[in-house]
Amino acid sequence: MSRWLGCPTADSGGLECQASKVGSPLGWIVVPVVLLVIWQAAAQLLNQPWIFPPVTRVIGQLVHPLREHYASGSLLSNTFISLLRVLLGFLLAAVTGIGLGIAMGSIRIVRSSLEPIVEVLRPLCPIAWLPFAIAVFKRGTLPQLFGFGYTRTVFDQVQLGMVFVIFVGGFFPILTNTLDGVAGVRRNYLLLAQTLGAKRRQVFWYVYLPASMPMILTGLRQGLGLCWFVIIAAEMLPGAESGIGYLLIYASDNAAMDIVIASMLIVGGIGALLGLMMRKIMSGLVRWHGKEI
Amino acid sequence: MTSGEINNSSKEIPMALELHKVGKTFQSDTGASVKALEDVNLLVHQGEFVTLLGATGCGKTTLLNLITGLDVANEGHLRLGEDLRFGDNIAHVFQHYTLFPWRTAASNVSFGLQMRGVRRAERQSRAVAMLTKVGLRGFENAYPHELSGGMRQRAAIAQALAIEPKLLLMDEPFGAVDDSTRTELQQMLTDLWQENQTTIIFVTHNIDEAIVLGSRVLVFRERPGKIACEFKIDLPRPRDRMNSEFTKLFIQIRTKLSGQLD
Repeated sequence: MSRWLGCPTADSGGLECQASKVGSPLGWIVVPVVLLVIWQAAAQLLNQPWIFPPVTRVIGQLVHPLREHYASGSLLSNTFISLLRVLLGFLLAAVTGIGLGIAMGSIRIVRSSLEPIVEVLRPLCPIAWLPFAIAVFKRGTLPQLFGFGYTRTVFDQVQLGMVFVIFVGGFFPILTNTLDGVAGVRRNYLLLAQTLGAKRRQVFWYVYLPASMPMILTGLRQGLGLCWFVIIAAEMLPGAESGIGYLLIYASDNAAMDIVIASMLIVGGIGALLGLMMRKIMSGLVRWHGKEI
Repeated sequence: MTSGEINNSSKEIPMALELHKVGKTFQSDTGASVKALEDVNLLVHQGEFVTLLGATGCGKTTLLNLITGLDVANEGHLRLGEDLRFGDNIAHVFQHYTLFPWRTAASNVSFGLQMRGVRRAERQSRAVAMLTKVGLRGFENAYPHELSGGMRQRAAIAQALAIEPKLLLMDEPFGAVDDSTRTELQQMLTDLWQENQTTIIFVTHNIDEAIVLGSRVLVFRERPGKIACEFKIDLPRPRDRMNSEFTKLFIQIRTKLSGQLD
């Protein structure tokens, strides 16, 4: 009964998984310290820092996040650019994914006319959209779109093609989860609302939306995770000029493996942080989930 | 039983619901047709507490759905009292999924008021008053999953009564709670009914419950569902299960019900 919303199974992770404790000192301190010690020892034995840099050098990079690397900016500035791109693409995906998901889940004709297209486009890796996106948007940036031209701000680094690819990455998990959530709303709740006098639009706001909220939030969490995945990959491809993914590949070309690993750690850390943040929001918003009667 | 009295009262008290030769046939997916209800005749007056008694699957729920308009009869006709309207003053309490799990008890109770555009402050105070009435004072901010089965049904009744219904339909609302809670809920419902004189149509498969609550018990026959007979219950309230009249009625109805099985 706890899974009445028809959660997709393994891939979603479900909201239920958040019950597992994340505060164990074993996982947070002991194991990482042991690994770092082994790493340091191995790196010093090997003594080939361009392949396998010691921990100390990687940490040296991490504690100086503002240090400029070649012409490509610092760890922090590139991270910030990546986050900005992801934020915009994700917001776009959230608005359209939730809107279309609710429409498809509650209006039969919308679903039947769009589902085939969705099913074909969904399995496509978002990165596959990049050549198309670059062809369409050229090197257009966000300020240019709104007629500001070159603004000498970080927004000049927000290329529309990148945002589009991130949008594609976040859009489908958000859409399909919302759709499943809305389509899985118990008929009883709709009947109950109607007997209590809810009109069509009220049923939409006061039943469909809250009832499918756990699934919508699951979709948002998955979507945000995927957006972060996609941006790193997109920034590593030729044509990119900034972003943490770009710095990673640029440092690799310059045999600066300490920067590569520092970038990797930042990407992983931010991904984990985003996931944690979404879970916190979710558990606060839908305390009732998994406990409905 | 005492048909003379019923005729008399019908002249004075306006009717709430009338069914005339109502029948309902469902088409199954395989094309076979299943007759759920046949030739149901029923006249309910305002303020009556009618219990519909019968085995599970005898068409009682179908009958309720016809009354609320969730389903349409194939035969006969159904007439609601003049001022009765679905989505306005007809309330429905179900056995399961009676509350919205994402709303607190108070917010569930005030749902109907919210749909009617009642202001938040007034909604809240009326919800608190209603919850107090059903014995849930202090549980305003509890979510349904934090309430016991009996408390949930109390809240569901408060939710239904908050819209000040003229007709209250109840579909085995106490079917999922334990015996002692069930007795408490029956007492509470009787009190509320005596206070408000809302017309209640209450579906149950429990003979004891049908007699304790109803001013009339309608016994349903199965397949197709049809009213087999009717018992008028004149016992004073609160009703004593140990009373000899009560036990006599119980045995009579039980005989009637088991007679159908042969």
